[in-house]
Amino acid sequence: MEHSKQTQYSSNEKKDTGDGGSVLNGHFDGMVKRPAGGTVRASAPQPLGAECGSHRSAASVMESWREERTRSVEDNEMSLPSLAAAYTTILRGLGEDPQRQGLLKTPWRAATAMQFFTKGYQEKIIDVLNDAIFDEDHDEMVIVKDIDMFSMCEHHLVPIFGRVHIGYLPNKRVLGLSKLARIVEIYSRRLQVQERLTKQIAVAITEALQPTGVGVVIEATHMCMVMRGVQKMNSKTVTSTMLGVFREDPKTRDEFLTLIRS
Amino acid sequence: MENHHASEMNGVVAEYLNMCIESKHNDLCKKEKDSKDSADADRLCNIEKAYSTVLSELGEDVDREGLLRTPLRAAKAMQFLTKGYKETTQDILNDAIFDENHDEMVIVKDIDLFSLCEHHLVPFFGKAHIAYLPNKKVVGLSKLARIVEIYSRRLQVQERLTKQIASAISEALEPAGVAVVIEAVHMCMVMRGVQKMNASTVTSVMLGSFHDDPKTRKEFLALTMRK
Repeated sequence: MEHSKQTQYSSNEKKDTGDGGSVLNGHFDGMVKRPAGGTVRASAPQPLGAECGSHRSAASVMESWREERTRSVEDNEMSLPSLAAAYTTILRGLGEDPQRQGLLKTPWRAATAMQFFTKGYQEKIIDVLNDAIFDEDHDEMVIVKDIDMFSMCEHHLVPIFGRVHIGYLPNKRVLGLSKLARIVEIYSRRLQVQERLTKQIAVAITEALQPTGVGVVIEATHMCMVMRGVQKMNSKTVTSTMLGVFREDPKTRDEFLTLIRS
Repeated sequence: MENHHASEMNGVVAEYLNMCIESKHNDLCKKEKDSKDSADADRLCNIEKAYSTVLSELGEDVDREGLLRTPLRAAKAMQFLTKGYKETTQDILNDAIFDENHDEMVIVKDIDLFSLCEHHLVPFFGKAHIAYLPNKKVVGLSKLARIVEIYSRRLQVQERLTKQIASAISEALEPAGVAVVIEAVHMCMVMRGVQKMNASTVTSVMLGSFHDDPKTRKEFLALTMRK
């Protein structure tokens, strides 16, 4: 499925028409390329596993990353007045007085805050990762756990926060450790659904490193469930994505899950 | 006989007039309710439109499946999170004040609290601890939690919230003293800005004997701030 809609703000490259999957938020089309454990992607033959329906070359991988950005800093500045006006309407609609001292600049503050909470739309994986992939002869599990994550529920526009645990089995290439946290930032600072967020992080790491396997576990609290609705204070949502050998080999998965618990 | 007949007529007319007045009253009430409902519906509609604008200005695709009904959901959520504006302490407290010959400290602690920062429209949440020294009148315990709800479900500043809760209890019960402590985490500090994950804000208001007598205050703090 092709997502070809251009917003008025995307001044960047046109969407690629060649690849069959896209990680533009909200349109995770499920074409997850399983790491073939091989080298150059262009020569990778059959995709593994049943869900992979598309054959992606190296070029299309890079281009799918290029598609991610939909917003720029100039776009932010241009949309700030209408965002602030919208927030003024919201304040009035709630019965508050937007002219009282505490609320005078609230529309602007709330608009800037919301833009910050969705700054993942301004960033590209490629910018963050390009320099930090290193050739290393290491094939043991690498785990970065307890990465604090803050996102926005796309259904209620209310925060989600929690922790992300990432593990991967390198295949001759390792990634700078903070880059894992930066990938989390890019995808979490958007209007999200926890399931999609988990998958996007896993796929991004897979596409960047072609490791033998990737595992991502997210444990989060949804304010939409805590502050309103069912109002269950202590509930937590856990989602996980296991790719490659993490999915196929139960022992690897167990090791990963044990290490993130400790 | 004419008089009797006249008074009977008067009775019938009076009854008829009463019926008219009553139905007019009901009509007016219904109109008022209808107009209130429609005013509420109008307000919801305006907030919904504003959220649609917010989504498109943020660069999102408002027609994608996950966002289709988000403006309505977000508007309703926001109304729920600010429902405290429509409630008053009088509504909830009137029946639950009892005469009781008790003058020792009553504490309700660890009351979960959720509010919205009025500066960034981002949640802050934490716990409230309330204590009062009754002066012949005690209040139903859950009513203390309901008072917290009324004032927290608004656009708030933590300092003002603490004070409003303390004043409400003070006015309703006229106790010998009231103490309120709120410890909260502000998402506007955690998710953005300085981004300090573990910082929390503590505010307190001490009235009456809690203010004047250090021993009373110490007892309260010892009983509530125990970890």
